[in-house]
Amino acid sequence: MVLRILHWLSRCILAGIFLYTGYIKIRSPLQFAAVLSGYQLFPDSLILPLADYFPWVEIALGVLLLIGWKIRYFAIAACALLAAFLTVLTITYLRGIDANCGCFSFEDRISLLTIGRDTLILLPALFLALIRVPGSGADPAQTKIA
Amino acid sequence: MRLPYLVPTLCALLAALVAVPAQTPDVTSDQCVGGKLDAPVRLEVFSDYQCPACRGFYLDVIQKVLATYCSQDKVCVIYHEFPLKNHNLARVAARYSKAAQRLGRKQWVAVMGALYTSQAEWAWDGSVETVVSRVLDPHDFAELKKRLEDPSIDAAIDREVALGEKREVKSTPTFFLYSGGKEERVVGGVPYAVLQGYINRLIN
Repeated sequence: MVLRILHWLSRCILAGIFLYTGYIKIRSPLQFAAVLSGYQLFPDSLILPLADYFPWVEIALGVLLLIGWKIRYFAIAACALLAAFLTVLTITYLRGIDANCGCFSFEDRISLLTIGRDTLILLPALFLALIRVPGSGADPAQTKIA
Repeated sequence: MRLPYLVPTLCALLAALVAVPAQTPDVTSDQCVGGKLDAPVRLEVFSDYQCPACRGFYLDVIQKVLATYCSQDKVCVIYHEFPLKNHNLARVAARYSKAAQRLGRKQWVAVMGALYTSQAEWAWDGSVETVVSRVLDPHDFAELKKRLEDPSIDAAIDREVALGEKREVKSTPTFFLYSGGKEERVVGGVPYAVLQGYINRLIN
């Protein structure tokens, strides 16, 4: 029962985070492009396409996590996305670049605090990806195994 | 909620929330550094002359926008003074800029360019006046000195700072991009190539 509640909570938290962060980026594509260029990692030609499409990936992931369909696959995708994002943040921080995090707002500088906070977000994604909870969602494969 | 209903509901909700209607403040044509007020795209920049990021944004990005888009009246660039309290000479430089603005666009652009280009120089030794005098002819410089004594210069700067605070400007540069009835706020600079791609998309 506890595991099922945790599973449900993880889904809701993760979906909420992806929906919110996707939404703020879609609302301000140029601001998000400015954040991406601030990382000094991507070529200028790639920044606008990334700013256009990346937020929709977050929204799609948020919706799919909320629905609960094939949840383990999409939780793995969420882990990969969060890990990639954490890598970018860590690289930028270690290079000593004073850049915006672009995580929950556009006035959040990259710091150990923001990196720590984003690492915490990885926990519910890892929980959903790694822990099988019988009858916890609409994942047919999972239900069958249970 | 089942999948067929949930997805369209969420999409509709998102579409409704994404559109940010422009709350265009009153601006006049004399505030345009380049372009006309009725240009399809308008950029409003809140900037501080002593801020290194503002220098980079003006010299590397805005000057190119002025040359490429404002000259064809496709973009209007408006500059608002936003001297930060922790920059001891920013207000002095803003006063010179505001006085130059009242002489005309040509003089204003020349003074802006000089203040940003020689930022390190005057920020080090306080030689704002010397830097400005280099780019104005003696008549314009004498006129500018006269206008600096006008108390309405400070009042105009205060109004622009108040406008920035009202629009929640907390750091410089912060700019607002208006196009097609929508407003977008950007904190910090953006490379010219990115802004160029974005403006081209809006114009086309």
